[in-house]
Amino acid sequence: MSDSQIIVGLEIGTSKVCVAVGEVSENQVVNIIGLGQSKSRGVRKGEIVDASLVEEDVRNSIVEAEHMADVEIRSVFLGVSGSHMRGFNNTGVHPVVSADREITDSDIQDVIKNAKAINLPSDHSVVHVIRQHFSVDGQSGVLNPEGMLGAKIEVDVHVVSGRYNRLQNPIRLVSGLHLEVDNIAFNGLASSLALLSTEQKELGTLVIDLGAGTTEYAIYSAGVIKHTGVLAVGGDHVSNDLAYGLKVPLGRAEQLKIDHGSAIIDPEANNRSVDLSTDSVIPGKKVNLGHLQMIMSMRLQETFELIAKDIEQAGLIEYLRAGVVLCGGGARTPYITRLARDVFNLPSAIGRSSTVSGIKNALDEPEFATPVGLIKFGAFQSQTAPRREGIGRAIRKQFVSLFGGKK
Amino acid sequence: MTENKPNISGGEPVIRLIGLGETGVKLVETLAMIGPEGVESYSLDTDNRSLSRCHQSKTLLLGQAIPCGLGTGGDVALARAAVESDRDRLAKLVKGANLVFVIAGMGGGTGTGAASLVARLAKETGALVVGVAASPFDCEGTRRCNTATGGLRDLKQASDVVFHFSNQDVVQMTGTDTSLNNALEIANRHLCESVLGVSRMLLEPGLLNVSFADLQSAVQGRQSLGSVIHVEGSGEDRAAAAVGKMLAHPAARGGEALKEANAILLHLSGGEPLSLSEMNTVTEAIKQHASAVDLVVGASGPGRDEALQVTVVIAHQLKLSDTEPELSAPSENQSSDVTDVSFPETFMPSGETSYVGLGEDSGGSRRSGFAYTPPAPTAEAITPELKDSLLEAAARQEPDRKKRKKITQEMLPLEIVSKGRFEKSEPTIHKGEDLDQPTYIRRGMVLN
Repeated sequence: MSDSQIIVGLEIGTSKVCVAVGEVSENQVVNIIGLGQSKSRGVRKGEIVDASLVEEDVRNSIVEAEHMADVEIRSVFLGVSGSHMRGFNNTGVHPVVSADREITDSDIQDVIKNAKAINLPSDHSVVHVIRQHFSVDGQSGVLNPEGMLGAKIEVDVHVVSGRYNRLQNPIRLVSGLHLEVDNIAFNGLASSLALLSTEQKELGTLVIDLGAGTTEYAIYSAGVIKHTGVLAVGGDHVSNDLAYGLKVPLGRAEQLKIDHGSAIIDPEANNRSVDLSTDSVIPGKKVNLGHLQMIMSMRLQETFELIAKDIEQAGLIEYLRAGVVLCGGGARTPYITRLARDVFNLPSAIGRSSTVSGIKNALDEPEFATPVGLIKFGAFQSQTAPRREGIGRAIRKQFVSLFGGKK
Repeated sequence: MTENKPNISGGEPVIRLIGLGETGVKLVETLAMIGPEGVESYSLDTDNRSLSRCHQSKTLLLGQAIPCGLGTGGDVALARAAVESDRDRLAKLVKGANLVFVIAGMGGGTGTGAASLVARLAKETGALVVGVAASPFDCEGTRRCNTATGGLRDLKQASDVVFHFSNQDVVQMTGTDTSLNNALEIANRHLCESVLGVSRMLLEPGLLNVSFADLQSAVQGRQSLGSVIHVEGSGEDRAAAAVGKMLAHPAARGGEALKEANAILLHLSGGEPLSLSEMNTVTEAIKQHASAVDLVVGASGPGRDEALQVTVVIAHQLKLSDTEPELSAPSENQSSDVTDVSFPETFMPSGETSYVGLGEDSGGSRRSGFAYTPPAPTAEAITPELKDSLLEAAARQEPDRKKRKKITQEMLPLEIVSKGRFEKSEPTIHKGEDLDQPTYIRRGMVLN
């Protein structure tokens, strides 16, 4: 027990703020021991628009998670998203200069550094650089070139970047709550980490996180990330479309979506209607179920089609042999897998965090994929760079425990 | 769908060209003028005016009861209604044909709505159906482009192969400083080429024949997307010249198209001195790009001129969302859900499957509340002379209305769409489309 390490994932989403607490044992087994969530009020399309409300929501969910897991949360891995984020592939080249032509660790570091040197817009900063494959003297598909002989080493990387200022907003907000941000991770990447097995990554899978404000997607093939992307379209758009089309208030539209929504149009639904007469605001109003489903299905279909188009442009559609995995709140929509199957022409399923253990609730619900994935991301990170307890850290710990203790 | 076998009588396959909508009619007129003998051409439109300009082809007015010869004004549902009401006449038109070309410009009303239905009718009679579609420039508006995408997908599902040419490609090929007239001419030429190429291949007497059956086996039932390259090479090393031109052709995409092809039909026509080495040069060039492909080679005998003419038909199988299950008559089982979510169907008022009765309830000739709207001018219609003639014609037909000057306005912002909760947030613009607006409004869907 004493060797295990606590890792916390925090996602500040458009509909909810969610905290997951994970216990990572020495042999990298992740066990979810706590969950905290609260309704998010200050986020639109995945980005903070009202910092003071978000601060309150984050605090509430952290407290809830602390109670549940019975630990003090000192630092978190923070999920970030938003329409400003981009994913693309890049290649770095480096000549091996040593006399015996043996590739050393420093060569590998250099080639990755070269791959990082991208022409980013000045206001962008890199969030992730994920190495895909090395190639040594044109021999491609090398996973680890250390110790091999060669004159030239190349590496393909996937880079995720975003606007510096917009990435800093949630980081600053969390730091303001006396929580340390260990690292940030792109939400789409995090949820794919939670959901996919090694086999699925190997075969090629598309993960779509249908959030309230944004829809993130990531593609794995041959075990590595090939493509990522964000669409600033989500469940909020569905609700908004319904509110507009059916002429009901937004809150009511949200409820209608949850109660009667469907990703495909039921031919029977056109003759049926939902009675809203119990609602005091709009007495005697009826809503045609066919219209509801049509508005909803068009929006979801369009979202999938935009993703499909992007993947096709990237030339990756042929590589998705394991199909499509859906998560996020939108994955709860009835028949969503059928719609995905029709649009992508691939088998599709709702993802489960099968690679971690712990609270059953956290693993089965598609909404919790991102915070769980953030814990996995954290576990990978601390595996590669072992944590050290510095003096500054110890002082901060004192601070946090003071504040944490009061609550 | 394939109830009867194709019935080839007298050796020559029966080829029919059917042009739909303004663009389709124009192309068919051109083709009828320059096309090979033995091809029957028909022009179909909902608009009397466009038919009155036809001289080479047989004309048929669609939807005498519903738009009553006034065009659809971009209303796809109306075009479908017109086709449904004329179902019997159309069935007669396509009956007995072996190969039917359905030629239409996408994005408007008649072409977009009617093409897939006509293609399906032809398919039901057992003919091989080749769709030829032009899609609009990007600058013609998102709505028009969306309509075109929907129509094109529908056409792909209904026909065996679709030759598609996007006007936007002309911009990429020639740059933006080309004149509009010129650009449209290039687009039209490409479409005509594909029809001519295929029909020539089938009709010209050959040394090595590419037969109707070859074409059929290459494209039938694949719902494929195809392209046709027709080039000529002359001079000393005419085969090499033709190969160079072939690979430079936009439809070849620098050989990429050949690489992705499922089947290639190659036809050479080179007069007397067509040599074996020339044939070899061309086939080798193709094989370099597509080594494992199903290649059918044909050559025709003594030609008219010295130049070596090379016609290549490339068929690709569709990928991704395009390969939706074939839509036969709407069935009551589970798969009917699939048809409901596919985009083109959404043009239908929900619940309505037949439009035959649409116009009749208010006294036969007119829909209730239907005011005459001129058809949205297609890109071809924007030349100044045509604009004048359009204005004149409109004035003739309705002399009492003075406000006809606004005829070039394609779309009015009929509804000011509030963005609700996204009013103040950063708009989500994707390829010029504001995704914050409800999808069903952007796609022109009506709640009824």
